[in-house]
Amino acid sequence: MRNSVLFLAAVLAASPALPVASLAQQHHAAPAAKPAAASDLILNAMKDELTREQQLLALPGMQRPYFMQYRLEDVQTYEALANYGALVREVESHQRAVRVDVRVGDYTTDSSTNRGEGSVEFTATDNDPDALRSALWTATDAAYKNALRAYAAKQAALKQFQNPPTANDFSQAKATTRIEPLLSLDINRDDWKHRVIEASGLYAVDPAVKAFAADVQFASAQVTAMVVNRYTVNTDGTMLRHGYSWYQDLINIGGQAPDGMQVARDNGTTATAAAGLESWPAMRKRMIDDLLSYNELRNAPVVAADDYHGPVLFTGDAAADVFNRLVVPHIEADRPDLGTTARTQGAYASSLHSLVLPTYISVVDDPTMHTFEGQSLLGSYAVDDEGVPVAPVTLVKDGELVNYDIGREPVKDFPASNGHGRAGLVQGARSRAGVVIVKSSQNLTAEQMRAKLVALAKDKGQDVYEVETLGGGELTPRLLYRVSPDGKRTLVRGATFDDLDQRALRADIIAVGGKPWVAQTTGPIPETTIVPEILFDDITVKRAVQEQQKVPYYAPPATN
Amino acid sequence: LNTASKRLVFRSQISFRASTILLVLSLAANAAMAASPRRSMLPVKATLPVKDPAAGPPADTTLLDAMQSELHRAMTSLGAGPVANASAPAVKPYFLSYSVNDNESAAITAEFGAITNSTTSHNRIADVQIRIGAPSLDNTHGDHRTSALTTMPLPLTDDRAAIERSLWFATNRGYGKAMDALEKVKTEQQVRAKEEDTSADFSEQKAVDDVLTAAPPLTVDRAAWVDRLRAISAVFRSHTNILYDTAILQVMHETDYFVSSEGSRVAAPQELVRLIIIARTRAADGMDLYRAETFESDTAGKLPDQAEVLAKTEAMAKNLDELRTAPITEPYEGPAILSGRAAAVFFHEVLGHRLEGQRQRGDEEGQTFTKLLGKPILPSFLSVVDDPTLAQLDGHALSGHYLFDDEGQPAERVDLVDSGVLKDFLMSREPIASFAESNGHGRAQTGKMPTGRQGNLIVSSTKTVSEDELRQMLKDEAKKQGKAYGLYFEDISSGFAVTTRRSPQAFQVIPLVVYRVYVDGRPDELVRGVSIVGTPLAALSRILATGDKQDIFNGECGAESGTIPVSAVAPAMLVSEIETQRQAQGTARPPLIPPPPLTDKAQPAAAQKGGR
Repeated sequence: MRNSVLFLAAVLAASPALPVASLAQQHHAAPAAKPAAASDLILNAMKDELTREQQLLALPGMQRPYFMQYRLEDVQTYEALANYGALVREVESHQRAVRVDVRVGDYTTDSSTNRGEGSVEFTATDNDPDALRSALWTATDAAYKNALRAYAAKQAALKQFQNPPTANDFSQAKATTRIEPLLSLDINRDDWKHRVIEASGLYAVDPAVKAFAADVQFASAQVTAMVVNRYTVNTDGTMLRHGYSWYQDLINIGGQAPDGMQVARDNGTTATAAAGLESWPAMRKRMIDDLLSYNELRNAPVVAADDYHGPVLFTGDAAADVFNRLVVPHIEADRPDLGTTARTQGAYASSLHSLVLPTYISVVDDPTMHTFEGQSLLGSYAVDDEGVPVAPVTLVKDGELVNYDIGREPVKDFPASNGHGRAGLVQGARSRAGVVIVKSSQNLTAEQMRAKLVALAKDKGQDVYEVETLGGGELTPRLLYRVSPDGKRTLVRGATFDDLDQRALRADIIAVGGKPWVAQTTGPIPETTIVPEILFDDITVKRAVQEQQKVPYYAPPATN
Repeated sequence: LNTASKRLVFRSQISFRASTILLVLSLAANAAMAASPRRSMLPVKATLPVKDPAAGPPADTTLLDAMQSELHRAMTSLGAGPVANASAPAVKPYFLSYSVNDNESAAITAEFGAITNSTTSHNRIADVQIRIGAPSLDNTHGDHRTSALTTMPLPLTDDRAAIERSLWFATNRGYGKAMDALEKVKTEQQVRAKEEDTSADFSEQKAVDDVLTAAPPLTVDRAAWVDRLRAISAVFRSHTNILYDTAILQVMHETDYFVSSEGSRVAAPQELVRLIIIARTRAADGMDLYRAETFESDTAGKLPDQAEVLAKTEAMAKNLDELRTAPITEPYEGPAILSGRAAAVFFHEVLGHRLEGQRQRGDEEGQTFTKLLGKPILPSFLSVVDDPTLAQLDGHALSGHYLFDDEGQPAERVDLVDSGVLKDFLMSREPIASFAESNGHGRAQTGKMPTGRQGNLIVSSTKTVSEDELRQMLKDEAKKQGKAYGLYFEDISSGFAVTTRRSPQAFQVIPLVVYRVYVDGRPDELVRGVSIVGTPLAALSRILATGDKQDIFNGECGAESGTIPVSAVAPAMLVSEIETQRQAQGTARPPLIPPPPLTDKAQPAAAQKGGR
């Protein structure tokens, strides 16, 4: 009864011999960008191998690569997880992988596909140029052969279609040299370990919540950190060393209402450095608040059986979640499938210069923004993963879709990258958002937003709804309040939304304002979305159809 | 990093493939035994004593007590009262067990002279097993075996309240799952025709109370092993046709804790150390070729010294270079010798898996041997036992050693085949028509339901000849059959046996090193691309004679109940007829350009220190 060590989660003993630590020190001793680049052993080894491959790599009678890019990712992670006041997992890892992208053909038509044809190899965490170049050599060989196959397949596929592709396969970009300081994983492990242990055990001991400890079926707290240093060289002459980091603490409480309905609360804070996470008193308070909220939700009435159609105010992360699902993926310019004449993929494939939001709303993607109201932003960066510098891009201007986030794979009418070629770990770059900010010219305060909601209730002479957080499914409300014309809020559970789609965003929003919410996505690509509160005029709230689970068959062990 | 890199694919091929049964066997002490003076070890000597149980720290009684009291609470609570929102009345489970695996492990990996990964981990995982209904028919019947099992991580510290709460959570969830399954089982029983094997679903066994010591805390001399692994993998730097290499040290210390509603209370330690070296090359025609060397022990200190490992690594690299340019095999049907190691894999796959008890019942099972109990299935000079109580054989560690199986039953030596006659099966607590009880072979990876599995499968022979004689017999047999050569299978890697009814009853093992032994006295010729095909029963009956020394094959075996360490031991065997074909192969060319030049400083360093 044993796990093979090979398949166990990676834990890295923090050894003083670790190469990354020494490399980081080396960098601090060399603050100027150029000397650091010149002395960076990894970048130099990558450059050497790239140059050699560029000179030699060829299969007689076949096309040679017209573009090659090497990216090394040095990934460090730390995670501590506690359930019921005890540590169940503490994992640390440090790994490196190289990704090689090879393009055969030319900028108009090349070997690239929507799947991505790069080749990936794990490589040494030792700073050993021989081992690194050996990994690059085999990865390049595989990537070139894949590219040749993909190019042949693409040429054949193109012959089947009446219409040629509406855009080139790849765009030119200037060479960029940028060497940023190396990031290191910096977190007080013991401190955070004790925090998650204590937080996950509060349900049973804190006077404010212990009375309903028996109804808390699951209580857990977790801290996770990831630090990625990326080294990139390509045949354009780009030489890049940059990275990103995120730190996150999470709380997770779960159980059932007396009728068996699953009820949960999970939330936390996210930042680019451990210092940006919430303090221990704040985390402790969050746990207690979440436990109280969980208990309130358990005992909340189930939403009315009859469908509701009418105003719903989205506050907190609920508004950001709506944008993250209904807008952000669609302003990222994914190439259309071969043979189609669409501009991009998704809901906004043919919406350029159409109204997609009310005229008082604009959307900007500004990765150069590092902080917002004191919060560090995960989606921030200076140069994208294809070596293209980024500047703010206005995507929606006064309600009209005017631009897309785009990398080096063009779409119709957008022939060049605007610095949004971003890559998940060991993945190829795709058009991805950075820091998306939704702005309203209405300048309404949170109080004014709420007043508008209550006014609507009064006008219609009926209850209306406000949703504060989503969870448990796609755009499913978790904290949903029924708001009566006199302003009284009643928490209800067991609801779903209907008619919450791009059409509702375009036609049913009646006010935007109040407190903006900063939603941070850690993966696969770190992104930030900042969205104020949104008041919709006509959303459907209905009772969820879900299988009612049995409540516990026997009581949990007594807590003291 | 979770990615579909070529290397990952390669690794998964050599580790395990889901849903088929396969063996990743490693060679452990094979070469060491061959190098030592000839000796007759047949039949297998008496059991060697297991490691002194007083060596480790005391077992964790806080954990055991928490398991036991929570188990008692569950047994007295479940089914005792009505469930608030349920229409059906609650049912008492008739069996509940908590099996906790406390596992500390470390792994260090090097490639091409540099470290790629170094990890340590500590996990405590609870497998909760709940059975509802009656032993004669319960929620595990038929395809619902996994409905009894719920897996949950436990606190790493002795926080009794948190341990109990975790066990409650898993038990509550598991009980619901078991109730659902029992409903389905009952419905299915009414619909289906009478089953061929009407055995009960769970055997009756005596409670076991045996709390041994825990495994000692894991310590690895990381700095020393980092240097050793760098040097081992650096051997391949000078072999420019070897495209991939890795050297891995795995160290594992674990303690298994088991309590059941029958009153069992067991704790037993297990230690395992493995050094794995793998290299891969590609022939000009696209055939991928690889070799692996593995060294196993119960403590890192007992692994061979660096000089020996480096010598074997160098030999392996040379052999792989030779294989790359060796001629490709022709389809062949004729006599062959399986080396001891190859024969061990052969028996593990062809015989061992088919003697697993659960394969004798069930609609989907092939039941090759079900009706052959008491009948000859092998030549009368061969006997086969599975003896997990053996920690070592002739001083060499056996991976398939354990003290208690994963159903809390004491490990037992089982005489499977006596002088060619089938006597027994490898039994878990799932009964079959011929055997109602476990014989201590219910094994599983953590998180899986135990089934009858092999431990140390040992083949012995009374018709032995020296290796030279066996070789002469091969030539004589080949001549008799009008063949220019016989085959000698020196090294075999993984294979898989398909035992279900819908698949042909074929086995496949992957020969790595095969020679043609010419009848006319020409020197032996290395060939590549050989794969063995054929029907297992026929192959077993064609064994003419065996060599006079056994080889040990240590490795991991994957099947429905997960990947577990096993050993197989056998002498070399002469088979009158074996059918081989050319193995399926890739078509990708070898690398188009030569490898990058080594940095100036790497080469002299490698020359001086045998490393980097």
